[in-house]
Amino acid sequence: MSTVAAARRRVPFAEAVRHRHLANGARLYVLENHFNPTLALSGTLQAGRIYAPAERRLIASLTAAELMKGTARRTKLQLAEDLESRAASLSFASDASDPVGVDISGASLSRDADLLFDALVEVLRTPVFPEDELEREKKRLVGSIRQQQDQTSVRAFEEAMRRIYPPAHPLHRNTGPERIARVESLRRSDLEGFYRDRYGAASLILVVVGDVDAERVLDAFEKGFGDWQPGPDPAIPAADPPPVSPGEATVRMPDKASADVVLAMPSNLRRTDPDYLAASLANSALGQSSLTSRLGVRVRDTEGLTYGIHSSFGATQVPGPFLISVTVKPEMRDAAVESTLDEAAKFLREGMTARELAEEKSSRSGRFQVDLGSNAGIAQALDAAVGYGFGVSYLDEFPDKVAAITKEKADAAFRRRVRVEDLTVVSAGTFE
Amino acid sequence: MSSSSHPTPDSRSPTPAGGAFELVKEKAGFREFRMRANGLRVLLLSNRVSPVVTFAIVYHVGSRNEAVGYTGATHLLEHLMFKGTPEFERAKGTAVAAVLEALGARFNATTWFDRTNYYETIPSSALDTAVRIEASRMRGALLRDEDRVPEMTVVRNEFERGENSPFQVLYKQTFATAFREHPYHHPTIGWRSDIEGVSTARLREFYETFYHPNNATAMVIGDFEEEPTLELLATHFGPIPASDHPIPQVYTAEPPQEGERRFVVRRAGQIAWCAMSWRTVQARHADTAPLAVLGNVLGGGITSRLHQALVEKTLALSVTVVPWQLRDPALFSVFAPVRPGVEPAEIESVIRREIARIASDGITEAECEKARTQIEAEVVFDRDSTDQIAASLSEAIAVADWEWYADYPATIRSVTPEDVRRVVLAYLHDDALTAGLFLPKAPSGEAAAEGGQDGDDAEDGE
Repeated sequence: MSTVAAARRRVPFAEAVRHRHLANGARLYVLENHFNPTLALSGTLQAGRIYAPAERRLIASLTAAELMKGTARRTKLQLAEDLESRAASLSFASDASDPVGVDISGASLSRDADLLFDALVEVLRTPVFPEDELEREKKRLVGSIRQQQDQTSVRAFEEAMRRIYPPAHPLHRNTGPERIARVESLRRSDLEGFYRDRYGAASLILVVVGDVDAERVLDAFEKGFGDWQPGPDPAIPAADPPPVSPGEATVRMPDKASADVVLAMPSNLRRTDPDYLAASLANSALGQSSLTSRLGVRVRDTEGLTYGIHSSFGATQVPGPFLISVTVKPEMRDAAVESTLDEAAKFLREGMTARELAEEKSSRSGRFQVDLGSNAGIAQALDAAVGYGFGVSYLDEFPDKVAAITKEKADAAFRRRVRVEDLTVVSAGTFE
Repeated sequence: MSSSSHPTPDSRSPTPAGGAFELVKEKAGFREFRMRANGLRVLLLSNRVSPVVTFAIVYHVGSRNEAVGYTGATHLLEHLMFKGTPEFERAKGTAVAAVLEALGARFNATTWFDRTNYYETIPSSALDTAVRIEASRMRGALLRDEDRVPEMTVVRNEFERGENSPFQVLYKQTFATAFREHPYHHPTIGWRSDIEGVSTARLREFYETFYHPNNATAMVIGDFEEEPTLELLATHFGPIPASDHPIPQVYTAEPPQEGERRFVVRRAGQIAWCAMSWRTVQARHADTAPLAVLGNVLGGGITSRLHQALVEKTLALSVTVVPWQLRDPALFSVFAPVRPGVEPAEIESVIRREIARIASDGITEAECEKARTQIEAEVVFDRDSTDQIAASLSEAIAVADWEWYADYPATIRSVTPEDVRRVVLAYLHDDALTAGLFLPKAPSGEAAAEGGQDGDDAEDGE
């Protein structure tokens, strides 16, 4: 271990990260890291699909996507020209996997920090949602939805979400044709209304990591956002998991050499649950890696049935699904599903081995360190830690939290969330 | 040491690792060494953003070194390199992937036209494990038939996944059409029947031909100390002898193209795609930099010319411009998914119009400056993470050498608007063009109509 790295590690994130909490609720965090003349920006704001009307969830993602299409001061092209000519980037996205948050991300050379922050403040506070831009985006989006509908992975996942979550649930997915119809019916006033109702400082979190002067960044943010209206209470509406209704479905698509199979059930696991880490550690042993997890060793490495097989919890601030996804040559689907279910059932029955537990714990701690190896990685980890209410010190405490997980806790947490007989099995591809 | 992050050259041994290495060259923070015993090249770059290090090794073997009957062999071999060595083997509970996973490593291997690379990004305290694994599989891969058989179907599913993607189908067909003699003709994944048919013995022959220290470059990037790291490399790679044969070189060259080539792929799908590619130059050629700048002028961001002409005008859903940089002369490509209802031919005429506009009027200094800035910044952003530097460096070593990467920002900086116009005139003409279309075929045999019924439906099972 080098002296420099060791020295860095001795300063806990909780001490190194500077922060400011504004009266309107906005929270700002900055970590100076002067090794490279760049900076990474990560942030969130609670304006995701959970806050849009059930039949028009798309309003949330479209509002986020249209923020960059023009402000009171600059057109979309002027804004893009200013950023692109300095190789700076800024984006806002709200996708279906996180029903609560809008993700904010940006990067620039450190010499262009002011340019990036000015754009951020301007875009968040004074978007104008130009009519012609929206009409253009609607046309593009219709084509883009059709393009996605051509992917077996998308079709299997969406059909599974459509089946396990009822229409009113924020994780429900409409079919492609339904979404296209909804896109076509969207009006500029929908976006303006959603922006007016949902955007504000109360739920805003911004993190900057890189070659910056922390005090200057905090001042710039305070100046930019200090007098922004707080907006709505950042409470998160209830989105309880629905009752399970296992079943099977096939989405038939012609001319697809590889099929996708998704096995899914609603789980009641939130990212904020105290046993989240234990449950997710058990999941890693079952299916995080196509190469080393139980599902991968059986279905890929031993049986050669797939290139990729993964299991995951889609946990955010709302309880998300438990999913297993696998790609197969269509003729091998039944064999792959059978092996997958068999392996999952065995895992639920027996739980993790002592060796698996030790390896997954070591893996999780090591990966955490590796993921903190870039400005963007640190910014995202801080953003998540603050957003989920764990606080900055979570980054310091993480290794101990992982170390404290026992086999009993991991097995019990996983068994509380997953039952093989509750899985809905959806395949998408070319089947006889 | 008091200032271990930036030691001066004086502080380092003139005979590193007890004389096992010679320092070949240093530039831009990189230090290149050569292992005296076997010719292994080693590149070091200290980058102490965090206590993380990336160890990577590049072999100068890719699909470029294959021929009919064993296309895809490099890639299949790369998969088998995870199946075991005497030291790292699943039966012993020390499978390569399991050992690396337990460290929390971000690791993988990839195969491309000109190279195969293996990399591990790990907490810096675990560097020795990555080094031991790569040294072990440089000559010790077991390559058993009982491993190849299930892995063949894994790779075949990877091939099948690629066939699901219109973009991948188009790019494979583009190379197969533009290159008739040079092995860039066939895709890295290989032809399906070769993936299925190649024998373990043929893969072993391939391994024996190319996997040697004198055909590889190892890289250590991130948080490490130079002297102990060189000692570590000397301990594990030092005993491996150089190949007892010269590494075979590719001598097949693609003759000049003498006229435009076209292809159409009709397959079920939702969206048509248009691809246009022109024959260009090898990465080491002086025109690579102006072609890279041209790539950004045409496709770098929403202010770029083709984004404005195609996406802003709602003709295409997106546009991707690829100035391929490979060891041998390659292509300059434009790919665009066509918005339903738009004639694919219209996309081609717009691309032609935009290129003709540069051929006649050139580009502005402001456009050139924006493109240069974007490309230079990519190199700066690379240094944010050790694995990103390793990835960029691996490509550079495969197509040219590490100095090419170290010099790249300066090379790009020297590009003028006139250079860009000149390369458009020199390369982007019809005699060098391969144009391809992916046309969605309606399942009933009828043409797909805009807003028409999806060609598929969901149905209930039992």
